[in-house]
Amino acid sequence: MGYVIQTNHLVKQFGQEKAVDNISLAIPEGEVYGFLGPNGAGKTTTIRMLLGLMTSTSGSIHIFNQDLNKERIDILKHVGSLVENPSYYPHLTAEENLEVFRKVYGVPKSRIREVLGVVRLSDVAGKKVKAFSLGMKQRLGIAIALLHQPKLLILDEPTNGLDPSGIIEIRHLIKRLPDEFGMTVLISSHLLSEIDQIATSVGIISEGKMIFQDSIENLREHAQQNVVLRVSDSIAASQALLVRGVDAKNQDGRVYLHENSDDHVSQAIRMLVQDGYAVYRAEEEKRSLEDIFLAMTKGHAS
Amino acid sequence: MLPVLFVGPAIALMTGLMSNIAAMETEMNAWYLLLQYMILPYALLFLPLMAGVLSGLICRYEHQAGGWKQFLSLPVTRGSVFTVKYLLLIATVFAIQLLFLGAVYLAGTVKEIADPFPMMIIWKSVLGGWIAIFPLVALQLWMSMFWKNFAAPFAVNVIFTLPSILAVNSETFGPYYPWGQPFLMMYTGGASESVFYVPWDQVLTVVGGSLVVFFAAGWTYFQRKSV
Repeated sequence: MGYVIQTNHLVKQFGQEKAVDNISLAIPEGEVYGFLGPNGAGKTTTIRMLLGLMTSTSGSIHIFNQDLNKERIDILKHVGSLVENPSYYPHLTAEENLEVFRKVYGVPKSRIREVLGVVRLSDVAGKKVKAFSLGMKQRLGIAIALLHQPKLLILDEPTNGLDPSGIIEIRHLIKRLPDEFGMTVLISSHLLSEIDQIATSVGIISEGKMIFQDSIENLREHAQQNVVLRVSDSIAASQALLVRGVDAKNQDGRVYLHENSDDHVSQAIRMLVQDGYAVYRAEEEKRSLEDIFLAMTKGHAS
Repeated sequence: MLPVLFVGPAIALMTGLMSNIAAMETEMNAWYLLLQYMILPYALLFLPLMAGVLSGLICRYEHQAGGWKQFLSLPVTRGSVFTVKYLLLIATVFAIQLLFLGAVYLAGTVKEIADPFPMMIIWKSVLGGWIAIFPLVALQLWMSMFWKNFAAPFAVNVIFTLPSILAVNSETFGPYYPWGQPFLMMYTGGASESVFYVPWDQVLTVVGGSLVVFFAAGWTYFQRKSV
């Protein structure tokens, strides 16, 4: 299995600042690759360079094993994309918007109906896009990206502005693409939960640097969540648990349990109750993306 | 976009209708007189200004809602996008010139000019004015791609167009001022033995030269533009 996208020490510098610093992406064929990072980390800049919308300061980009600088047109024939906010011609209807792109790609007219169906815009096909809600515009953008049945789909924050049911719909759609159409998908997001539900491999970028790139399983290990107990006497309670062989830690007046399976948690709570400690709260520690970043960057440093 | 096409010819038509050519004692074919009246506001101001407005409009849809990035992610070269937009613009300006020709004929008919319609010479003027607009359109297309804002390229256009009123009156400076060329090439009083109303070297150096410079600069800018 080859790599669909490969970048080699990609750098984009704006003045003194490196928006993208030495990024080497490797996206295997048939994967849904989650490109994760906080806002301003350099995701969109990287994606723009992948599409040739922006030139890189240094480094190289290969898509379908072809050099982007040399064979950009050939590559773009097989790439569908939605970058940042959806792009559209507001004075045209959804159908006319698609027609503009259909002509350039030279695909049959029937594709317009098909993609409108896929993103559920068939009912409003004849409506001017300026009257669309953000979610509808976003879906139109996805329809444009799917129009020519690309081998690679690049979606930059595709669920931005969608309502929950829209997000679920798009998520299902993206999940289907690799199997049904043999597409490789690059999807960027600032939400770990989003990526967690659709991606099969993940790249995490922070301040322009790639800090993690691997399968989603390996990320889950990093992101493992602790269960936190708030009890009457946390120091004594954690010691009592440790004595009984439960991996517990006292921190900030709380007890942290590393094993977070249901069995372990209920067992630990039973022990504490039996020993006469009052258990006020038992909750899963919400580890934000930032926390995981920190944990990871720490891990890399040591 | 359509109303913009009519602004220049409509102004010319009005000037033509308001002129009092019957009162003028001259040996000249009355069509020339009429034409000279009509060319003044049209070629000096409105043709270059409207060409700039058109350039703004042709980039507006891409500026509006992220169209550039969607458009340029298509398998098209930037060079062809720039060239096609340019060709569309000059085709539109040609349509404006034809409307102007119609306006001249209409005004003359209303004024009941009895002299024969000097087709050849009027064509010379229409084509000459069209060619003189080429470099101006190239500059305006570049400016319109550069600025998201509609007013900025228009301001540039006004800044360069207004002085042409002075420039065309200057024997020394006029022939070298690109924005004055539409008027000079449409003005029938010029040297009419040549194909156009200005000498060939002026067409080639001033019009041709500025076209090459503006087109190349705009083209190069667009190649590198980050969207």
